[in-house]
Order: sequence, then C-alpha cells, then structure tokens
Amino acid sequence: MNDQERLLLELGERTVSRRGFVAGTTALLAATALGQFPQAAFGRSEAEQLFYYNWGSYVNPKTYPAFTKATGISVKKDFYTSNEALFAKLKGGARGYDLAVPTGYMVRILADAKLLEPINWSKLPTVKKTIDPKFRKLPFDPKDKYSVAKDWGTTGFMYRSDLVKERPSTWRQFFDLAKTKYSGKVTVLDGIPEVIGSALVMLGYSYNSDSKSELEAAKKELLGLKPHLLSITATQYKQLLISGKAVMALGWNGDALAAAAKKPVNYVVGKEGGEFWVDSYVIPVGAKNTDAAHAWIDYVYDPKHNATETEYTYYGSPLRRSLLKGKLDPKILGNPGVFPALRTLSNLEPNNVTAKGTALRSRIWTEFKNA
Amino acid sequence: MARRLLGGFSALVFVFLYAPILVVVVYAFNGGRETLVWDGFSTKWFSAALHDSAVTDAFRNSILIAAGNAVIACVLGTMLALALPKMWKPVRIPLEALVTMTLVTPEIVFGISALIFFTEAGITLGLKTVLIAHVVFNASVVALVVRARFVGMAQDLEEASFDLGAGPLSTFRQVTLPRLAPAVLAGGLLAFTFSFDDFYTSFFVTGAGTSTLPLYIFSSLRFGVTPVVNATAAMILALTLASVGLAYVVLRRAGMSDTGTSA
Amino acid sequence: MTRPGSGRWGRRARSGGPRYPGWLALPALAWYAAFFLIPLGFVVAYSFAALSGYSDIVFAWNLDNYRALWDPLYGDVFRRTLGLSLFGTLTTLLIGFPFAYWIARYARRKTLVLLFVVIPFWTSFLIRTYAWLIILDPQFPLFRVVHVDLLFSRPAVYIGVAYNYLPLMVLPLYAALERIDWSLVEAAQDLGDTPLRSFRRVTFPLALPGVIAGSLLVFIPLTGEYLIPAILGGNKTSYAGSLIAQQFTEVHDWPFGSAIAVVVIAAMTIVLLVFSTWANREASSRG
Repeated sequence: MNDQERLLLELGERTVSRRGFVAGTTALLAATALGQFPQAAFGRSEAEQLFYYNWGSYVNPKTYPAFTKATGISVKKDFYTSNEALFAKLKGGARGYDLAVPTGYMVRILADAKLLEPINWSKLPTVKKTIDPKFRKLPFDPKDKYSVAKDWGTTGFMYRSDLVKERPSTWRQFFDLAKTKYSGKVTVLDGIPEVIGSALVMLGYSYNSDSKSELEAAKKELLGLKPHLLSITATQYKQLLISGKAVMALGWNGDALAAAAKKPVNYVVGKEGGEFWVDSYVIPVGAKNTDAAHAWIDYVYDPKHNATETEYTYYGSPLRRSLLKGKLDPKILGNPGVFPALRTLSNLEPNNVTAKGTALRSRIWTEFKNA
Repeated sequence: MARRLLGGFSALVFVFLYAPILVVVVYAFNGGRETLVWDGFSTKWFSAALHDSAVTDAFRNSILIAAGNAVIACVLGTMLALALPKMWKPVRIPLEALVTMTLVTPEIVFGISALIFFTEAGITLGLKTVLIAHVVFNASVVALVVRARFVGMAQDLEEASFDLGAGPLSTFRQVTLPRLAPAVLAGGLLAFTFSFDDFYTSFFVTGAGTSTLPLYIFSSLRFGVTPVVNATAAMILALTLASVGLAYVVLRRAGMSDTGTSA
Repeated sequence: MTRPGSGRWGRRARSGGPRYPGWLALPALAWYAAFFLIPLGFVVAYSFAALSGYSDIVFAWNLDNYRALWDPLYGDVFRRTLGLSLFGTLTTLLIGFPFAYWIARYARRKTLVLLFVVIPFWTSFLIRTYAWLIILDPQFPLFRVVHVDLLFSRPAVYIGVAYNYLPLMVLPLYAALERIDWSLVEAAQDLGDTPLRSFRRVTFPLALPGVIAGSLLVFIPLTGEYLIPAILGGNKTSYAGSLIAQQFTEVHDWPFGSAIAVVVIAAMTIVLLVFSTWANREASSRG
C-alpha cells in the first residue's frame, strides 16, 4: 500500500496554499448551490405529492400532468422491474412510497409480511361506480382490504412475424426454435415465476406446481434453453424486438402490442397454458400521503382517463366494458390481444405458488442464472 | 524507438478511454429518441433533463451526500492519520489492517452488510444511511492521503515551535494544520468523488425517493439508453471539466510545478 | 522555557515530531466498529440462519448454507469469478504498464496527462458501461464495417471490465514508476545492457510495489463485480457478486446470500495476507 500512499501524497502536494484551499472550497459551495438551483428556480413545493412506485412504461405520460392539473397533487416516480424486486425493496426497509402496483400473488405475500396499508373504499367513489364486479374480491385479496385492480393481462411469447415464418403456437415450439434456428436471438423475462411457470406448463404441469420432480424437469428444460438466449430482461425486449436483434421473446401481451405498433409482432399464449394475471394498486406501509394515493386510483377509474391508459399500455381494463364504449378506441376495445376472449383465458392460471414452491423456484432460478 | 512505440500505444489507450465518453456526448445531441438513429442535431434533451425533477432531485441528493460525507470523512480521517503513525504497534497494525479492509472489501459485501445492519437496528433507510455508509470507506481514503503527507513532512518546524514555547494545540493550529491542508483537501476531493459516483453501496442502503444520480441513471438505463440520460451525463462531464480546469488554472498560478514538491 | 526533549506532549518519539494522543483515532474507530465491523458480524451471524416462509429469518445456527454452497454449481461460479478477476488484473496490467511507463518517463505535463486519464471516470460508471452497449451494437458505425457481433457476449464483459478498472491500475503504477531515476536506466544501457535487460534488472523491481498495489486494487474489488456482466453480458452469466445480489434482490434468501459473502470475505482476506507478506518480504529484502 505504500506506493498508493505515495501517489496520494503526490496528489496532496500538487494542491498548494490557502488560495488553492479557498478556490476549492468556493467551487464546492458553488456546486452545491448549483444543485439547489434547478429546484429553487422551478419552485416545486413538497406540499401535495404522490410518490408512485411502478413498473416502467405502465402509465401514459399524459396522465401525470393531467392528474396534477385536476387535483393539485404532483407525482414523483420510482421504478422496479419485477415483483420480487418490489418486495425486496419494501422488505429491506424502504418507506415513503405512497402507491405501488404488484401482481396479485405478490399482494398476498406483501399483506402477509405486513407491508401494506389498508385501502379506504369510502375514498374511492368513482371506483365503486365503474369497476367490473368480476374484479372485486379477487382470490388474493378476498375482502378487498389491501388492493384495487389496475389492469390484467397474460404472459406468453411474441415473435417478429416477418422474420419468423414458422408461426409457433405452443411453448414447445418456442423452446425448440430458440434452441435451433433462432439461437442467440431470443430473450426471456427476468422473472422467476414467469420463466419457470412457462416451462412447467409446456411439460403439462401446473403453472403453480410445487412438486420437486416436476420442477426438476422444468429446470432441465430451462438449462437446455439457457445457452441460446440473447438476454434475460423484463424491460429491454420490446426494443430488441423492434430493432430485430431479438426475433422471439417471452413477455407480456401489452408489450407485444406496443411493439406491434412499430414492427409486425405476433403475441401467443402457448396452447399448453400460461399465466393470467391481475396487477393491483396497493399502498405500502410507511406511505406519507395515503389521500393522494386514493385520489390517483379514483382518478384513473374515470372511464375517460382509463381509456387514455389502456391506449398506452395495451393491457385489459378492469372497468365495466359498457362504460368504455365510446371512450376507448374501438380498435383496441375489440383487440383480442388486449381483451382476450373468455375461452382463451379459461386455459390459463393465475399465480398462486406456495411458500414451498417459491423456495424450490428460487433455487432453480439461481442455477438457471448461473448456468 | 521504444519511445515512439510507447507513445503510439498510449495514444491508442487514450482513444480507448475516451471512446464511450465521446459516444455519450455525441448522442446527447441526437434529436431523435432512438439512440443509434441520428435524427438531426438538437439540444432539447438537455433542457428536458434540467426540467425533469427526477434528474435534479437525484443530482441534489448526490451533491448533498458527497459534500456531507467529505466533511465528516476529512475530520475522522485526519484525526486517525495523526494518531496512527506513532501508535503502539500491537494496536497500530490491526488498525491499519482495518483501514485497508474498508477500502478493499468488495462493495456488494459492504452494501448488504450495511443493509442487514440498518434493518436489524431499525434505522430507516434514506439520505443519512447512504452518507453513513460512504463515510466508512472515505474516512480511510482521507486517512491514507493525510498520513502519507504527514509522515513525509519533516518535523523541524514543529520542534522549533515547541522550543519557542508554543503549546501543542497552537502548534498544531498554526504550524501543522496549514501544512497538512493540501493533503486534507486532496483527501476531501477524493472522498467527494467516490461518494458522488458510488453505486453498489448506495443501491442497498438507499430508501424510497433518495435516489442519487448513479441510482437514477441505473433505474433509467434499465429501460434502454435514453437521450435524457445521455444529456445528463454530458452535463455532468462538462461540469467536472469546468471545475478541473478552474482548479488547474488556479493552482498553476499559485506556483505549482509539474514534478517538484512545495513546502 | 521547555527543555528540548521534554515537550508538553510527553515522551517524544525518537524519530522526531510530536506524538499525537491515541484517542484521536477513536472517532474513526467508533465509526468503523459501528458501521463496518458490526454489520460484517451480522453477515456472519446471518450465514448460520435459514429462510422460513417467504422471507422470515430463523436463526437455526447450522452450516446448511455452507453445505449448499458445496454444490459444484457454485464451484463454477467461484471459478468464473476468479477467472474474471485474474483476467481483469492481467489485462489492466498489460495495458496499464506501458501506458504508465510512457507517462512517467516520456510525457511532458505529466499532471495534465494524468488528469486526462482520470476525467472519463468522473462521468458515472454506469454511463460508461452503457455507452459500451451503444458501441458494441451491431448497428454502430464501426460494426457495420467489421462484422463482429459482440452484443451481450463474454468478450463484451471483458472489455467493460478492462475499461472500468484501468485507472485503478495505472495510478499506482505511475506513482511507482515516477520515482525511478531514469538516469540509472540509461547508465545501465550505456554500460552495455540491452533495453530488455535493464528493464528486468532495474525498472521492473523498482516498479514492483506499484504492480502489487495496482493488482490488489483491481483484483479484490473485481471479485464482487456484477453490474458489468449484467449490463454488457445480457444478464446471463453470474459471478460471485451477482449471486450475492440475487439473494438480496430477487430471491430473499438473506442467510444464503450472507454465507456467500462470508466466503468472498474469507478468500479476500487470504489474498490480502499473502500479498502483504510478499510485499513486506520484498521491501525488507531490498533494504
């Protein structure tokens, strides 16, 4: 270490005298002042603020300023890329988020870990009027104590229809094509339940299986797929598909449709089965402004505002369909990718993995990532 | 001959070092949203970055944490550096080893240990936990810099001061401290820099909404390289270049030479 | 007034200069104890705990986590990490040494050159790494001509590592090389040594402390690196750092993550001990 010290000694020697000291301090103070400047200049007050912890690209950018204009509440944002990351953050002691959007199964886990504040339905008049009754008292929150549905969708796979002529329709075909013809051009989600669950349904098992032998079989499939992957990402696959660096991706229906707006992309839930999910608003424990959180939820349940959201995210709306007619672009309302027919949904399962199943999946995921 | 080869090699190394920086700066002026598709020259992303409260908040947090921890690290580190050289050996050796460990422990290990600690101790994560964690390694940085200087300083001025009857405190204040000041300042600047650019430790001990600039960039870049982030990086680079340029000019005027040392 | 040799500081150390009281070290020591040692203690304690339910910790005080680590899967991860650390150290040494040599011996305005070496590293480490994603993209101008696809590949990770750790090697090397009296080298050559020989006999031994310091500064932190593989490698390959991070951000197995951290700490301590004993022996043998 002696010579590092000598180097640092050199650095020390090159600054000299009080003038240098004063100049340095002044620069430091100036930088601090500079850091304060933009905030002072744009005069933001901390008074009414909503701190919204969310998935990326999950809110129409137009909605934030519209909400602020209507309610006077400004919105501060932070992002996560998986349910597990959200949980890790809250469990690790992060407090101060007012609103978050976990998937159903994670709502239950968060509630069990006492990381949620209760929802006050008396503050949600619009929601009570417009919500489709199918989305109340969902299995993961039977008393509607902690959550209000945001939207719903499916997990499947997508491909560039102009570059992949085979038109795969099953998970088996997805895996096989990935391992052969399109090796190096396929991505999968950075999500434990989605990736393992898809392998399970491909083999004919339940998405939520916690059988050791079934999970072992799924693991073998995944380890066989791993060397052929381009990337494991929940946020970049849309871009990669649009640019053509990836031709197939395991992902969510809304992202597929968003990509389809730019390039020809088909979305498929494999015939063997898949996941049907509902994402819900929750208020994390330690929220500073629960009123603002309720205000946001009530705001986006207005059919007009909800239509704006659906037109951006391409995920199914939990509002009553009749209320959306006339507000939502009929092309989207009628798009089976956004609002799949009931019979396709009957083949799908919501995530409902037990603690035992989660522990087994964690181990498999570690092996998968480290292969 | 060797000289020319080495010079050529070094030029290549400089190209290597600056390639990503230039890419970032150039694409910060790209009018289009897609990074690799050039869509005309534009400065709109710079104004977008300055108006984005996520960017300015993160920048302000980074500056506050870096400045705060530089001050604390300087105090702790200087005191440590003064006491260390003459310490009783069985105490000094382990202490030096501890200082080395704080510098060399992989940040992921330090980050998670701090997270576990704050969780167990019930301390809410936030700006202060990031600052506390940063001081741990920055105090060591300052200590090393100041000690190197201190040990290399001849003590004749101090001895003269004592011989003239000055007490230890006034000797320190009037003789030693001014001579140490450059090293303390250098250590403080290093501490500021390490804190400002820190990622791993900050990632684990930051609470909700206390994003530092690196954390904001990370969360933003997960969605792909965005023009706003490029513009932010270009601005930080310009700011740093300006400060360094200013410091260099000031110090040159104050009589610094390239290879010599100063009193 | 005061007799020389009996200053108010009490016993003067013979090597001259006042002896500052030991309690000056206490604040720093207290900080280290509270925010470094105790946290590490928690990590060790957690490594003997187990996960119960989805995320609760139960202190079972057994070696289950360490037994699980014995799995050859993790052996691969540690081997890969060692490989990356060694590669990073060797590469930065091979690139950094000639570079530092040139600056130390031939450059005019050395401080300015050093500043220019360091300035890129005052942009964010993340930006620098993501910028490589832009450069290595097959659509980037260079790669439209040279048809090599490096996106999300192992070589991309290596480039990122070499890039980000280069200054950590260059600075200590420069510090050591700058102290060398080049007239000695020239004298040796005048006396008939080939450049190679004078390098081996004069330059390299004098530069050795810098090599050691730089290698430590690169090797050890590299063992915990995981962002560069995640960003440039497509998040597909895991190293010890990724393994630890996953346990804390994806899988909630804090006890298992702690056990891995303990292994890394133990390995790092051994490396440090080996290096410092070697360095001390070198220093004392050269007098």
